[in-house]
Amino acid sequence: MEVEKVIKTNKKSQESKFSEIIRRTYTKMQPHPSYRWLVFILGFPVHLVVFLFYFKQREKDTYSTIVEETKKALLATGFKDKLILELKEQLLRKHNFFGQKVNQKEIEQQAEKWAEEQFQKTVQEKAASILEVKGDKRITYETTFQSLISNPLFLFLTFIPGLPMYLLILLYSNPYLKYIFERLIMSLFVILGVAFFVFTILYLSPFDPAANILGETATKEQIAAFNHLYGLDQPYLTQLWNALKGIFTFDLGSSFSGNEEVASSIARKFPITLLLTVISLIMAIIIAIPIGIISATKPNSFFDYTFMFIALIGLSIPNFWQGLIFILNFSIKLQWLPATFNPQNWLSIIMPAVVLGTGLTASIARMTRSSTLEVINEDYIITAKAKGLTQRQVLWKHAVGNAMIPVITVIGLMFGGMLGGAAVTEKVFNISGIGSYIVDKQFIPDIPSIMGGVVYIAITISLINLFIDILYAFFDPRIRSKMKQY
Amino acid sequence: MATILKEKESYIKKHALKLSSEYTQASFTWITSLALTIIFLVSSIDFSGKAMKPFVFSVFVAYALFTCIQILITFMIKKDLQSIGYLRNSTRKLGLIQLLSILTGNIFIFTFAIQLVKAEKSPEYTLAGYMLLTQIFIIAISALNLFKPYVADTFLPAMGALLVMAIFQLVTFFLIAKDGKGKQRARWKVFFAIPLMLTAVTGNLFALVLGWNMLMHERFMNSPSIGKWRKVWEKIASNMTAMLGLFFIVFVFSISICSYLTFDYGMAVENNYSAILQAPSLAYPLGTDNFGRDLFSRIVFGARISLIVGFLSTAIPFIIGGFLGAISGYYGQRTDNIIMRLLDILYAIPGILLAIVIIAAFGSNTMTLVLALSVGSIPTYARTMRANVMMVSNYEYVDSARALGSSNLSIIFQHVVPNSLAPMIVKATLTIGGAVIATSSLSYLGLGVEPHIPEWGNILKIGSTYLESHSYLAIYPGLAIIALVLSFNFFGDGLRDALDPKLD
Repeated sequence: MEVEKVIKTNKKSQESKFSEIIRRTYTKMQPHPSYRWLVFILGFPVHLVVFLFYFKQREKDTYSTIVEETKKALLATGFKDKLILELKEQLLRKHNFFGQKVNQKEIEQQAEKWAEEQFQKTVQEKAASILEVKGDKRITYETTFQSLISNPLFLFLTFIPGLPMYLLILLYSNPYLKYIFERLIMSLFVILGVAFFVFTILYLSPFDPAANILGETATKEQIAAFNHLYGLDQPYLTQLWNALKGIFTFDLGSSFSGNEEVASSIARKFPITLLLTVISLIMAIIIAIPIGIISATKPNSFFDYTFMFIALIGLSIPNFWQGLIFILNFSIKLQWLPATFNPQNWLSIIMPAVVLGTGLTASIARMTRSSTLEVINEDYIITAKAKGLTQRQVLWKHAVGNAMIPVITVIGLMFGGMLGGAAVTEKVFNISGIGSYIVDKQFIPDIPSIMGGVVYIAITISLINLFIDILYAFFDPRIRSKMKQY
Repeated sequence: MATILKEKESYIKKHALKLSSEYTQASFTWITSLALTIIFLVSSIDFSGKAMKPFVFSVFVAYALFTCIQILITFMIKKDLQSIGYLRNSTRKLGLIQLLSILTGNIFIFTFAIQLVKAEKSPEYTLAGYMLLTQIFIIAISALNLFKPYVADTFLPAMGALLVMAIFQLVTFFLIAKDGKGKQRARWKVFFAIPLMLTAVTGNLFALVLGWNMLMHERFMNSPSIGKWRKVWEKIASNMTAMLGLFFIVFVFSISICSYLTFDYGMAVENNYSAILQAPSLAYPLGTDNFGRDLFSRIVFGARISLIVGFLSTAIPFIIGGFLGAISGYYGQRTDNIIMRLLDILYAIPGILLAIVIIAAFGSNTMTLVLALSVGSIPTYARTMRANVMMVSNYEYVDSARALGSSNLSIIFQHVVPNSLAPMIVKATLTIGGAVIATSSLSYLGLGVEPHIPEWGNILKIGSTYLESHSYLAIYPGLAIIALVLSFNFFGDGLRDALDPKLD
């Protein structure tokens, strides 16, 4: 009996706590117009009910009568005329100070406008204070909503029809979830934008794929049939809609030349590019980060100069030239490694990975060095040294972790560049990855293939950056505290 | 007093090695010079024939000689600094021997020697040295055309003009060297400055900067406003790698202007079937390609395209991205949100892929290439500008301008933007190199400059098909690309140290 009671009260307090969270978060969401609209749309049935209540309660509201009364009282004291005179004087003095020409009519208009604004503000303030003295509250739509939500019965009844709205409000109440939600929406927006942008550019192209594929001898009927087959005769918006739908359903139709499924050929070619990029990325991280840290701990030493010089050269070498020189030396002259890529021979991926990773290695090494150098001169490192920690402890426990934060961002951003830049390396080593696929298709131009390739790469990059951002939200205390503030 | 002086002296002596710019420069010089010497040694030996190439070997001997002297000088500098804390005059005199290395074309040793022979260096002195070096290099490179079967009609008058300019610049150099630190007033500077700036029509930008510095020095002897410009140049001039980078950029710029008069375009584009795939010789310093076109002339003419495309595809996003970034950073809130979210879309597509898409849509030619490369880098410039504008627009002088009744636009473009340009300039210098690489990469894929134009990527594309038999066709244009990009990176690093902007 006793236990049951405790459970009951517990349940009740939990319930009211839940409604309290919803009520508070709802108030917090009101200043953001986009969220206000989203709440309204998602919880439309609930809002309908609230609206009825609001209409009924408004009749009891005394606010409007109080406003009228204060207005009359203020007008009777000549408050508004005094305001106008004061503002006019101020404007005149300002114009005099700057030596500007005075236009009497303009000044009067301006003064009147400002006076009206100020008057309304004063009236509202006064009315609010009178209301407070009386112990009443102004009834607005929001207050109605809040009072209803605090009622557990109302919450219970509207829980099912207003589920999406309540979920949104709950999402907003947790800063992490809110951050992830906002980031997801942004990524979605970027992906849609990329698809739209790429499609529009290709649509605007003055080239005619039909003429390119069918050859110069094609008749008008053949070209028309081709355009009809691939939907190129449809209006822009229809084509755009089909393209967007195709991206999200992984069904981009068949390519113009070769008549193969675009989505499946992209799926076939994507893994090798991804593998290549990931291998180069791992290689770059393993080589670059130790070099960067060592260079930073011994700045301006011979070691530092040498490695930074090599890194700068690495940044300046064009991928394709490096690939050619590697082929010349290691494949043709020394015959150590195969010149072209072959999936069965794992030795053949070494050269492409090194070539693709050189630029990244150089950037990461430089970035690690500058970032570590910056951190090493911070005050908290001096504190750590003063505490009596050894050089090694200071470096590994306090400096490196913090120095890695910007480096990881750079790695995330560079990874995207690598996925794109892989096209050149793939061409040099004859790898049939996504990059060389896009390059091969661009001569026609084969719109669905190019768009599919570019958009799926952009999606991959967006997702990786999203993942890194979310990881940061959990690991970087500075971001965490900033997130909680809003 | 005496003890303080003594202490200071001992401090300088103790840290002389680290404080002295000569010592670090000397070490850098002998290492690079040694690397060049070894490269010459290796290339002088014909491994398959087990024979020596006498010409390359003699170059190696000359380089080895100067490198040995350089190593000796480095040791003497170290000894001087450790024992007395400064360089003895006898050590500096050794630099005079090293000046002769200009005859071998070893710019590292030559520029070091210029720095070594003078104890107190003004930026004008260094600039004058590099100006002279550029002019000599232009003349030397152009003179290689003498070995060709025929030269351009304008070759002789152009060479004459270049020589006259070089002599004038040499005289200026000696006068500046005699002038000491450049503290005292000198009337002659004004008369030299303007003709000197006129010699910059050859593309020798060092002459332009030097002339401007001399003129301004004379005009505003005591003006603080010119301080920043001078200070930046002082810092860059004391940075050897940055100056070497700048030297190569100016040299490439200058040769692409002078080549209009001193090089014959026909050599680079017209087929000559009697001289197909010839090995490097005096008439064809870097050999010929499969159509008998002179590779050397092609590389020289290719510099023009690389520089133009690199410059334009940096300038366009600099202006557009800078404008968008300034607007969005200054107004903030909704404007910022809309502009930056739209630019995020561009940012999500890797630069090369975006360029490929644009080229696929509008065809591969130079104009499309510039446009394609520009569009991709708008967001990065906008982000840099935005971050700086956000910082600068919180400063007091912006508030005071607003209180004085300036309009928003005039605040942005008169107060905020000029004060947030430093990081943008550094970024631009560092990304021109990237644009040069992207240009040649796209040309290599057949998506860039039209194939009949001698552009470095196009030359490499041809070279790559002869990798096994005539690898020099692929090596030399690649070296040109690396040298130019490396120069931009070195100069950009130096500029960053000199301007010291807060980069994110």
